[in-house]
Amino acid sequence: MAMAMATLASSSSTVLFSASSSNLLPFSHPSSSSRLPFSSSLHYSLSISPSFLAHTSATSRDFASHAAFSIAASAAQKKKVLIVNTNSGGHAVIGFYFAKELLAAGHAVTIFTVGEEASDKMKKPPFNRFSEIVSAGGRTAWGDPAEVGSVVGGEVFDAVLDNNGKDLDTVRPVIDWAKSSGAKQFLFISSAGIYKPTDEPPHVEGDAVNANAGHVEVEKYIEETFESWAVFRPQYMIGSGNNKDCEEWFFDRIVRDRPVPIPGSGLQLSNIAHVRDLSSMLTLAVEKPEAATHSIFNCVSDRAVTLNGIAKLCAQAAGRPVNIVHYDPKAVGVDAKKAFPFRTYHFYAEPRAAKTKLGWQSTTNLSEDLKERFEEYVKIGRDKKPIKFELDDKILEALKVPVPV
Amino acid sequence: MARVVALQQNQLSFSPLASSLSDFSGTRLQTQLQFKRKLWQAKGSFYVSASSTKKILIMGGTRFIGVFLSRLLVKEGHQVTLFTRGKAPVTQQLPGESDSDYADFSSKILHLKGDRMDYDFVKSSLSAKGFDVVYDINGREANEVEPILDALPNLEQFIYCSSAGVYLKSDLLPHAETDAVDPKSRHKGKLETESLLQSKGVNWTSIRPVYIYGPLNYNPVEEWFFHRLKAGRPIPIPSSGIQITQLGHVKDLARAFIKVLGNDKASKQVFNISGDKYVTFDGLARACAKAGGFPEPELIHYNPKDFDFGKKKSFPFRDQHFFASVEKAKSVLGFEPEFDLVEGLTDSYNLDFGRGTYRKEADFSTDDIILGKRLVSV
Repeated sequence: MAMAMATLASSSSTVLFSASSSNLLPFSHPSSSSRLPFSSSLHYSLSISPSFLAHTSATSRDFASHAAFSIAASAAQKKKVLIVNTNSGGHAVIGFYFAKELLAAGHAVTIFTVGEEASDKMKKPPFNRFSEIVSAGGRTAWGDPAEVGSVVGGEVFDAVLDNNGKDLDTVRPVIDWAKSSGAKQFLFISSAGIYKPTDEPPHVEGDAVNANAGHVEVEKYIEETFESWAVFRPQYMIGSGNNKDCEEWFFDRIVRDRPVPIPGSGLQLSNIAHVRDLSSMLTLAVEKPEAATHSIFNCVSDRAVTLNGIAKLCAQAAGRPVNIVHYDPKAVGVDAKKAFPFRTYHFYAEPRAAKTKLGWQSTTNLSEDLKERFEEYVKIGRDKKPIKFELDDKILEALKVPVPV
Repeated sequence: MARVVALQQNQLSFSPLASSLSDFSGTRLQTQLQFKRKLWQAKGSFYVSASSTKKILIMGGTRFIGVFLSRLLVKEGHQVTLFTRGKAPVTQQLPGESDSDYADFSSKILHLKGDRMDYDFVKSSLSAKGFDVVYDINGREANEVEPILDALPNLEQFIYCSSAGVYLKSDLLPHAETDAVDPKSRHKGKLETESLLQSKGVNWTSIRPVYIYGPLNYNPVEEWFFHRLKAGRPIPIPSSGIQITQLGHVKDLARAFIKVLGNDKASKQVFNISGDKYVTFDGLARACAKAGGFPEPELIHYNPKDFDFGKKKSFPFRDQHFFASVEKAKSVLGFEPEFDLVEGLTDSYNLDFGRGTYRKEADFSTDDIILGKRLVSV
């Protein structure tokens, strides 16, 4: 079957594409040139339904001759997906992995990033690697999400993912346009931060959320507007191309033989997933919309880790010892939010809905994944970078902990 | 495996009313029974039983888990024998159990008196009687299981009550059945038993509960909190109080033991069984207060390293995170805990402590040491 498809790709591509390419309108955008790699948009026109293959006595030659007349393209299998992606922050990398995974699976992807292609923000990962999306056959575009329609207009997408907005003002225009343009499925990256604190962890889909949270009003509006929708609530993530520091905070200290100051007991649980876990969950939702609809998914790996545990695992990945120092932010006089990159209380959700509804499996393996992360950390020379540790020093001085020079 | 059996109605003692199952708030159990009832009725005089009547041996069964499990098994129509030394009464009426239900159960339950540490006796008595299924609820060491297996070469299933205590302590949680186990743990006997079962050809199933609670609990878990709440005392909790643990109601555990009986999907499998959600130490104190209708308790946190309590335990839980995922049991067996934490603690309170019954007298000596020192330091 794979061989047959490959043959089709090479022999019949021109026939297929002249027909379909007329639907591909250049994106008009004032400040950027459009990027429409027509030749690479092969991917989504070429899905052949298995039943078609079964009914023919298939040889590659037969396919080539039948192709022009009788392709039963199963459009239901391959999707056209639009990702509206934030231009900064911890969630930026989600759209990058999701785009690549969809493309590898043969779907068509447009990734629309907020802002301008020429902005400084685009010089940081994952944006500085968007060529990988393009060479895999995806399209990129930039603009104001409130005007997404005018940029990608003309396209009808099977699924639209908003991986940008945190409140209704920002996401509503995207939802409204998606609905009116005929998109069938709406997906939203929300946040597990909206769950109300509980005595009984973990946060499970359906648990009470803070009604005042911006994400909550977005989730509600999506539910009111779309027939087929799914909402994803992530926590923290690691992975190459991440826009925001995560494990690096620990590596910075471990590799310089500095103590790692952790607020509180260090027993607080958190969740750090490799972003490929988020991407695979999103991909399953696109491929199984009936299974995913009307659902909230905690978009996390299936193991929580203590703050002490993160420090230890980072040290193991770096092959170095770690000196964890606990402190009370109030007693020391620092703002924990500035001094430490994670929430200082239990922040622990489990991905139960994804497992039962989508058959999703987590592949995050922090020991292995952090090794890879450390290799990249060293490769880019960050271990040698001069860093100031002002807040650390304030904490350590208050605790009278010596710091090696 | 379905067996075609010609059954007389009175061989199967199904209580027709829901009230007799009310101790278990057993909606799930009712559904199972109704399903079987319909099978029989639908087939007219030619009955097929979904789960055939078995001759079942429970090692233990007179103290806590077995008390509830044996009742479920008898209600399902199995012939159930309890193997105990006879030190505790073979049967006792459960709080809330009707006289007629208790009479029915007592008339059907069988007793095999003996000491399971007398391996020769175990082997000879079991082989003489013959059993289809063994539930080993009180076994601790692998040696204790060997004579049972030797005595019953045609055993259909050996169902073992192991413990989540076998898991190796980890910074990555929850514990799943595939996780590393600790060969040096206090529960290594359970591990060795599981290994023995694996090495023999027997069809085994192992259940790993976390902390079990419910009426008649002899381990002072909820009782420890109830004593302090009733006395109006503050609750001393070690360290931060954010340590996460997990409680599973004994009736849900009994139902899980039923779920694996004769179940192909349980063959040679290990299952964590406990509550659906976990709880912090602080949260558990608050949940116990809610369950007993007490006001929100005062919680005192202390550093256990500052004290020497001798042999006494100052707190009923391990001072660490300790909880296990029950997702495998849920997805493979369809296990669904019926009790959430506050409901389950309320059930325990209403049927046990709240009626004035408990297993261990209140002992506040370690509390007083903690409180004494704290008052001094303040």
